[in-house]
Amino acid sequence: MIDFARVQKELVECSKDSEGSGIKVSPKSDDLVQLFGTIPGPVGTPYEGGIFQIDITLPEGYPFEPPKMQFKTKVWHPNISSQSGAICLDILKDQWSPALTLKTALLSVQALLSAPQPDDPQDAVVAQQYLKDYQTFVSTARYWTESFAKASTRGIEDKVQKLVEMGFPEAQVRNILEAVGGDENLALERLL
Amino acid sequence: MEDYASSDEDYHYDSDQDDSVEAYENDEDYALLSSKGPTTKVITKESLLVAQKEDLRRVMEMLSVREQHARTLLIYHRWDVEKLFAVYVDKGKAFLFGEAGVSVDQHPDSDSSVPSTVMCYICMEDVARVETTRMDCGHCFCNSCWIEHFIVKINEGQSKRIRCMQHKCNSICDEAVVRTLLSRKHPGMAEKYERFLLESYIEDNKRVKWCPSTPHCGNAIRVEDDELCEVECSCGLQFCFRCLSEAHSPCSCLMWELWAKKCRDESETVNWITVHTKPCPKCHKPVEKNGGCNLVSCICGQAFCWLCGGATGREHTWSSIAGHSCGRYKEQEKSAERAKRDLYRYMHYHNRYKAHTDSFKIESKLKETIQGKIAISEEKDSTLRDYSWVNNGLSRLFRSRRVLSYSYAFAFYMFGDELFKEEMTDAQREIKQNLFEDQQQQLEANVEKLSKILEEPFETFSDDKVVEIRMQILTLSTIIDKLCQKMYECIENDLLGSLHLGIHSIAPYKSKGIERASELSVCWNNKVNTGVTAELDRPSGSGSSDDNGCSSRKRARKDGLGGGFFDLNLPAEFIDRN
Repeated sequence: MIDFARVQKELVECSKDSEGSGIKVSPKSDDLVQLFGTIPGPVGTPYEGGIFQIDITLPEGYPFEPPKMQFKTKVWHPNISSQSGAICLDILKDQWSPALTLKTALLSVQALLSAPQPDDPQDAVVAQQYLKDYQTFVSTARYWTESFAKASTRGIEDKVQKLVEMGFPEAQVRNILEAVGGDENLALERLL
Repeated sequence: MEDYASSDEDYHYDSDQDDSVEAYENDEDYALLSSKGPTTKVITKESLLVAQKEDLRRVMEMLSVREQHARTLLIYHRWDVEKLFAVYVDKGKAFLFGEAGVSVDQHPDSDSSVPSTVMCYICMEDVARVETTRMDCGHCFCNSCWIEHFIVKINEGQSKRIRCMQHKCNSICDEAVVRTLLSRKHPGMAEKYERFLLESYIEDNKRVKWCPSTPHCGNAIRVEDDELCEVECSCGLQFCFRCLSEAHSPCSCLMWELWAKKCRDESETVNWITVHTKPCPKCHKPVEKNGGCNLVSCICGQAFCWLCGGATGREHTWSSIAGHSCGRYKEQEKSAERAKRDLYRYMHYHNRYKAHTDSFKIESKLKETIQGKIAISEEKDSTLRDYSWVNNGLSRLFRSRRVLSYSYAFAFYMFGDELFKEEMTDAQREIKQNLFEDQQQQLEANVEKLSKILEEPFETFSDDKVVEIRMQILTLSTIIDKLCQKMYECIENDLLGSLHLGIHSIAPYKSKGIERASELSVCWNNKVNTGVTAELDRPSGSGSSDDNGCSSRKRARKDGLGGGFFDLNLPAEFIDRN
């Protein structure tokens, strides 16, 4: 059984200093099982200036079991799958401790953006590039940040809203918007 | 032959004169032969606790720690006491404890000034101090959070290493605390936890393994130092301690695995089909050519060319098919040839392997008829009273049959291309194969001779003739034993020993059959606890341990006889003595 009292407290706690850290957590639905968090790309990295969305699902045993986290925003990073957004981070697996919170976990994810660990990769292609051709890695990561994590794409929810109101199913709208890199007109063409 | 006979005479005729001395000597002899003596123990559900007490006690005494800490350390080091002590000596106590997650520092509750409620950082509630628990590492959380944490970890199968809830705290939760907290509301979980902890001694210990019997007999077997051996559990199952499949020496584990798979999966049936048939191009059923020209008709009516397998019309002559021409496929032909050769090779070894396995099964029935014959003979008015030599001969026959049958599986791989193709030249292989087959043939001939003699109706013979038969059986038994021994030595030293690949090794030859693990008795519990027999189950050559080993072994044998069942792995001398 999820400890909802604790989740509530965590949310309150997190909103208190979201100005300082830039980290936000908000419920996706009323049941507090699905949440989403946002982290700003760390300064001095190819992710700087981007705002990254992370889907959070709380398991039955939370906080005794780790929350499931996945990047919703596409990101180019050795420890994050460029396809699925899956994150390879020890504290989200066997090193999880109930004393950690959603906020501390997101902080760790943010730290992972600053300090990739290519020896323990989630995405082998990215990791290879990071090790062999660091310059290309940096520019690709920066390009992805520009394309997927910048303010222009932040309005993606509005676009989704718009297209859904036109009568398209939400899942499809999201998929196609993602596939075309957030271009509303292109997405509409594809949907039609 | 004469040599063997005379030496054998000396050896066995003494036994009539002084049974007790003979028995004693045989025991000595046995210990010498197997060099390490009986070193395997059966661990039952009941003796599981006793079995680990000794290791726990050693660690507790050496490091002066409580039992739960000793257990945590041992689990971390996979119950290898020597390794644990080595780490202690090399790196010190602090390292040893830190690495395994043992905290023995005192964290005094600074409670005098603290309010009666504290904030639990897990549920983020204020809770009464009495409702909280502080672990050895000093981290304090509320009881319901601890309990929840324990349950999640136990269900994850992490019972043996439940860490503190604090992030980055490596400390293992005190088992006493876990037990106390769980037992109140979750007795089932507490039990599960307890069982996992206890079974760690089996699961995490390279010297102990579950008996692979199905349905499981509930036992585990512990060996003292040599993990490469074959054992018999008290449930009667004989198995290879290394790979847990049936006892298979003189095959190596890998050879046996391959052989068993080969015999099972009928890969050779498939091979036969590839060699002797071609699929019909229409219905795809395999078609065997039973003669005639190259135009073959399937029962479905389709005609096709035997050379290329392509569908054709029916019009043909002996040398050609109308409207059809195909060149011979050299490559395909070659691979078919090879498959054929491999198949015949396998069949050769498998037939012999199976022949001996089958003989073994048939001879098992001999047990009963021979008991009958002995009974008749004993009632006869004769000076001969002792017929144990018949049983001895029989068990020798069984044991050597087994060796013989597995030796064919061994030879299949030893001299085949599958494992050692690169290891020796063809010439080397031929020399080795001759050497081995020579020994194998000698053994085979003697085993068959023994088998034949054992079937003689000795109960109808005159005393003189019985004495003669007895001599023959004793002689043959000795020869066979020596031949088996020689074959094992040849395999170990000349064949496997010369390979670069070190992965093949075989369990040592046991003249008296596979060693039966002795029960680790529960009634020793008290002794162990009080430390009276500290060296109880570690035969290190000290007097006390040897005594224990002997007595338990003798008991096991007596049980075997008392129950009236005949065990082919009983030492031969045992029957002599009784």
